[in-house]
Amino acid sequence: MDQKDKYLIIVAVVICIIICCLSPYIASGDPDGLEKSAEDSGLAEDFSIEEIKGIPDAIFPDYAFANDPDNQALQIVALIIGAIVTLGLGYIVASVVRSRN
Amino acid sequence: MHIPDGFIPIAQCLIYYVILVVALYFSVKWAKSNLDEKRIPLLAVLAAGIFAIMSMNMPIPFGTSGHMVGGALVAIVFLAPEAAVLVFTVVLLIQALIFGDGGITALGANVLNMAIIGGFVGLYTFKTLQGIIGKYPAAGVAAWLATVLAALACAIEMGIAGTFPINIGIPSMVLYHFFIGIIEAVLTVIVLVALDKFRPDLLAWNTEGDA
Repeated sequence: MDQKDKYLIIVAVVICIIICCLSPYIASGDPDGLEKSAEDSGLAEDFSIEEIKGIPDAIFPDYAFANDPDNQALQIVALIIGAIVTLGLGYIVASVVRSRN
Repeated sequence: MHIPDGFIPIAQCLIYYVILVVALYFSVKWAKSNLDEKRIPLLAVLAAGIFAIMSMNMPIPFGTSGHMVGGALVAIVFLAPEAAVLVFTVVLLIQALIFGDGGITALGANVLNMAIIGGFVGLYTFKTLQGIIGKYPAAGVAAWLATVLAALACAIEMGIAGTFPINIGIPSMVLYHFFIGIIEAVLTVIVLVALDKFRPDLLAWNTEGDA
């Protein structure tokens, strides 16, 4: 990896961390477009069209720590962990499937 | 636009998973011919950036909110919707498994809407319009249309699933995503302008003759 690519990753990580630090404080808590459309149709919040078993619990449900969901500092930690894991998995996937020519 | 578990019956989820597998087959095939080593960090940072920006819901009218998706952006950056499929499979898998955002059973449908429909609509709208209105306005319109049509597809899928009827789902989803699409358009253009200024070598429209 050359210097320019290292710089790209550093800048991207800094931008991601800034977004992750701001999100818990400034992101809108209003329902998103799909949730609102479901509300418009009169669907209950816990609606399920059929019972689905065996879905594992999320480690950080709703981008928060399960035992302290309202703690915004921990939400930032969860988001940063997510961004770093995504960066890593994205890099691994791209490296595996890349062109070898 | 993340469809949660329980909104689509399992039998229909399997159909969307088949579409995902086929899309991944073509995306890996594209990558093996076109994804050179230089663009590996770019694909990874786009995935991380999309993960982060999806946490930033912005208020829109009607007491709802929306965030950037990024399917059109990735497809335009690489001039390939296949790249969007790779990026979104990674992002949506992590969001579903670790954060419970978007269903694990609905992964195929979510990749279909945000990456396949978003990527194709975004790229081909961009390609159609860029010679007429210029590349940045074309990218903005492409990103907006990709968001609205992905939302329309989502509403149709909800209708097929029986979760909510098309006569309510389509107007609601299209109306809300009309506004969410404006956020998508603005942020897509900002990222493209920044990449073109600081790393023009990474944009396929600068390195491929068919842009």
